[in-house]
Amino acid sequence: MSDSSTRDTQWPRFELFQQERPGKPHVNVGSVHAPDGEMALLNGRDVFVRRPECHNLWAVSARHILAKTAAELAAEEALPDELVPDEAAPQLYRIFQKTSQRRSMNYVTHVGDVEARTAVEALELAQERFDAANVFVWWIVPVAAILVSSEGDVESMFQPAQGKTYRQPQEYRTFTQMQEIKRTTPS
Amino acid sequence: MNALERLLADKFLSLADDELILAHRNSEWTGHAPILEEDIAFANIAQDELGHATLWYRLRAALTGEEPDELVFFRDAADFTCAQLVELPKGDWALTIMRQYLFDALEMVRLPLYIESGYRPLTETAAKIRPEEIYHYRHTAAWVKRLGWGTVESHRRMQTALNELWPYTRQLFAPLPGEAALIEAGHLPDLTRLEMDWWAEVEPFLTAANLTIPAFTKTAVISRTDHTPHLAELVADLQAVARLDREAAW
Repeated sequence: MSDSSTRDTQWPRFELFQQERPGKPHVNVGSVHAPDGEMALLNGRDVFVRRPECHNLWAVSARHILAKTAAELAAEEALPDELVPDEAAPQLYRIFQKTSQRRSMNYVTHVGDVEARTAVEALELAQERFDAANVFVWWIVPVAAILVSSEGDVESMFQPAQGKTYRQPQEYRTFTQMQEIKRTTPS
Repeated sequence: MNALERLLADKFLSLADDELILAHRNSEWTGHAPILEEDIAFANIAQDELGHATLWYRLRAALTGEEPDELVFFRDAADFTCAQLVELPKGDWALTIMRQYLFDALEMVRLPLYIESGYRPLTETAAKIRPEEIYHYRHTAAWVKRLGWGTVESHRRMQTALNELWPYTRQLFAPLPGEAALIEAGHLPDLTRLEMDWWAEVEPFLTAANLTIPAFTKTAVISRTDHTPHLAELVADLQAVARLDREAAW
């Protein structure tokens, strides 16, 4: 097999986080492949927030995410040692948790932020500061790596979806006629 | 219907036909776009344009009483008044993105002018369409920039697309018969102003995207009743199912 046929030609993966309304937490909704963050935000809008409500969207390259399951954390005596240079400046990390296994569509939710020098240090701090009892998955993301949709994007990117009732099945006569047929056909 | 309303009805038909035919061309990418994410995004844009076509057909219907479905599915291709730019086959991805960019740039400059129209239904419809067009422009401009600066191949394809499409843009700024009366009445913007605004948007952007705007060759402006052979083919495809059974309910 030649080298070119096995090479991964996909664009990098970006994870998307959707905030439905101001004040609600950002929740991971899935991922897109994109050449850069701006395209990830644009594609994320079309793939994930065309119908549901959305106020704000975050995109972050998957390579900036430190992800650990509770099982992984329990199996490791300690988190891998990192070389932390003494002069490493602390930065802000966003902490995400998945706290339910019940639904398949349940992704990690933003629960708060910590300041740390590395992602591992941030994870250690997060385990101390946030309720860790029912956490199945932790994601640690440096704020600097997150691309954020702006307040000015709300009108053009997110609001139009709300007026599009024609995208719902009830708007199609075929659908309503099928309902009518089912209703009037003796079973 | 008075004379001005007759002219307005013609204008709305041309706006609607442009959006309908462009939407159909864009929809031809559904399932075939270069990547899955763009397949979804571009199908969404196609659906938006179809929605805008519906709004323009309704403005016409308010004046003439003609049903939009009747105009779309049971009108002969020769009676469509779309510009030739939107009739051209979808070509490669570069041609599709370049066409969408040139059209979105027109939307970006004309909708604010339509919002200032003295004809209230036009103002309201333009205000409704505008937020979506801001998004379309951002999306297609992002692609043009990246492909213009991408690889030798992507740049070559984008420049070829621009060269092919550029002469067709003239028709977008040609007045309909009698349109001067609508401009005079304050219902529609001056077309020279519109073209200058469009140029001021498109010229610096395309230049910054590493592309060269070709010189206009001197050609007579094409009437919106003159079409490429591609339109009849598209309309036959668009109308085939509806014409199988005129009485069928969908």
